[in-house]
Amino acid sequence: MARPPIEVEHVTKDFGKFKALDDVSLRVPQGNVLGLLGHNGAGKTTLVNILSTLAPPTAGTAHVAGYDVVRQRRQVCARIGLTGQFAAVDEQLSGLDNLVLIARLLGASKRAAKQRAEELLTLFELTEAAKRPARTYSGGMRRRLDLAASLVGHPDVIFLDEPTTGLDPTSRMGLWRIVENLVDDGTTVLLTTQYLDEADRLADSITVLSSGKVVASGTAEELKAEVGQRTATATLTDAADSARALEALGRAGLSPVHDEQRNAITTPVNASHELAVVVRALDEAGIEVSGLGLGEPTLDDVYLTLAHHSAEPAA
Amino acid sequence: MTSTLTAPRTGEQESTPDRSNWHGAGVWTQIVVLTGRSLRAVLKDPRIVVFSLLQPLIMLTLFSQVFGKALLSSIQTGSYINYLMPAILVTTGIGASLQSGVGLITDMKNGVLGRFRSLPIRMGSVLLARSLADLFRTAVQLLILLGAAAVLFGFSPQGGFLGTFSAWLLALLVSWSLTWVFLAIASWVRKEEVMQSVGFLAMFPLMFASSAFVPLKALPDWLSIVARINPLTYAVDASRDLSLAMPVGTGVFSAVGTSAVLLLVGAFFAVKGFRRPL
Repeated sequence: MARPPIEVEHVTKDFGKFKALDDVSLRVPQGNVLGLLGHNGAGKTTLVNILSTLAPPTAGTAHVAGYDVVRQRRQVCARIGLTGQFAAVDEQLSGLDNLVLIARLLGASKRAAKQRAEELLTLFELTEAAKRPARTYSGGMRRRLDLAASLVGHPDVIFLDEPTTGLDPTSRMGLWRIVENLVDDGTTVLLTTQYLDEADRLADSITVLSSGKVVASGTAEELKAEVGQRTATATLTDAADSARALEALGRAGLSPVHDEQRNAITTPVNASHELAVVVRALDEAGIEVSGLGLGEPTLDDVYLTLAHHSAEPAA
Repeated sequence: MTSTLTAPRTGEQESTPDRSNWHGAGVWTQIVVLTGRSLRAVLKDPRIVVFSLLQPLIMLTLFSQVFGKALLSSIQTGSYINYLMPAILVTTGIGASLQSGVGLITDMKNGVLGRFRSLPIRMGSVLLARSLADLFRTAVQLLILLGAAAVLFGFSPQGGFLGTFSAWLLALLVSWSLTWVFLAIASWVRKEEVMQSVGFLAMFPLMFASSAFVPLKALPDWLSIVARINPLTYAVDASRDLSLAMPVGTGVFSAVGTSAVLLLVGAFFAVKGFRRPL
């Protein structure tokens, strides 16, 4: 099968005059996680809805697990799992009954359905609450049940639409581990998130959406290199050296600044070999340092630069 | 949550080799499983049954006691309860169909319908299951009402068991067909409050401007004209014809025919509306 599990080609979605998606193309290879970043209203959920067959695109084509999301809806549905922003579970039914229901609808026999449900309840640490109605669950438990429900059919592709929004840190990390295990098993994941640490940790590649357009894509490292700035920071042993340090680095062709609170000199560097320039300049000036570090640009820098800049002219 | 997904997956492959076929159940299984789910929700919340019984019971009591004596001279059915009960069957059935519509909207908010959309099942199955579960509930509800009417108010129609049974079936058919109409409205409207008002606006004039509670000739002229074109009058008359062993004329056939048409039209628009994204 030549097609990657997720392939989007020139997809546009209009809601009246509003263009929710504007000529979006992307591909996710098998076993990869694509992180989809963007503000509220950037089109993330619209794209997830199209890929999970909940809404048809206005123009363009999308294939999931090799099937066309419009013409082969059933085949697509049979191979995907969807976890949305709100837990899609039956509040009246118990956790066990929810999972059994999904398994039965997928075509499992009663026995197999129960077995699969119990397996997932164990995996998601919901065994004790298995018989309680889902409406009595905490937010974190509900989310876990929801994710479990989307995994019942061993999907090839899963869509996680802001899966950890509103979760406490422990639950978030638990969910991350589950996603990592899924990926180890070869599942392909499309993850939308507002949390950059989440994308940084889980995503193999990142696509930034803004006003329905793809404004950047690549690995986290590529994006950081493209947008962000590395910095070298030297912590001084003696605060009195700061003026001489600034002068020495300036002479070496750098543009340092003094961080008084941390008693450190920080300077943007273009590549790691410039770190050596910093060390040499300080050494020649006879300045003693207690620490020297290279600061990587964060995904926050990338996000703020890309998502903001391109969002403004449209607004 | 630290255990891997690999272990249970391989473990399961040994015991259930059919999991590769988990690509969607057949339509029949879809309907059975989904109907079971809707019924379970009713059984788990007996308040639904109690409250949906309360209203027709109150109506039955009030109408039979308030109008019973006054109307005795203008009806030829022996007692007012014999006149009233076939109508109560139909109006209760219609009330239940409105509740189906409201229930569908509640279900849409439940979130689980969102999940159903992303499963390889037909949206028609979801609606059909809902209507079947509600039909079952209505059937039980009407049986309880019939029992109450017989025990408490001395309901004993001339049509006997067979006549009453066919009136019950007719009321269920009318209810089921209107369920589809209300499901159609619900899947387009998608707001509980709007649905309730649409329902009440339609129900109350229909119920009272009809032959349900008083004979047409007891109504003022203009109202009896309205009642004559009110489809509910025909449903009620047909139910009465059956249970009171009156000559079963074209009334029953036109009631069945109208119901069938409403059912098909309602089902068409319900499925169409329901497919629209949430």
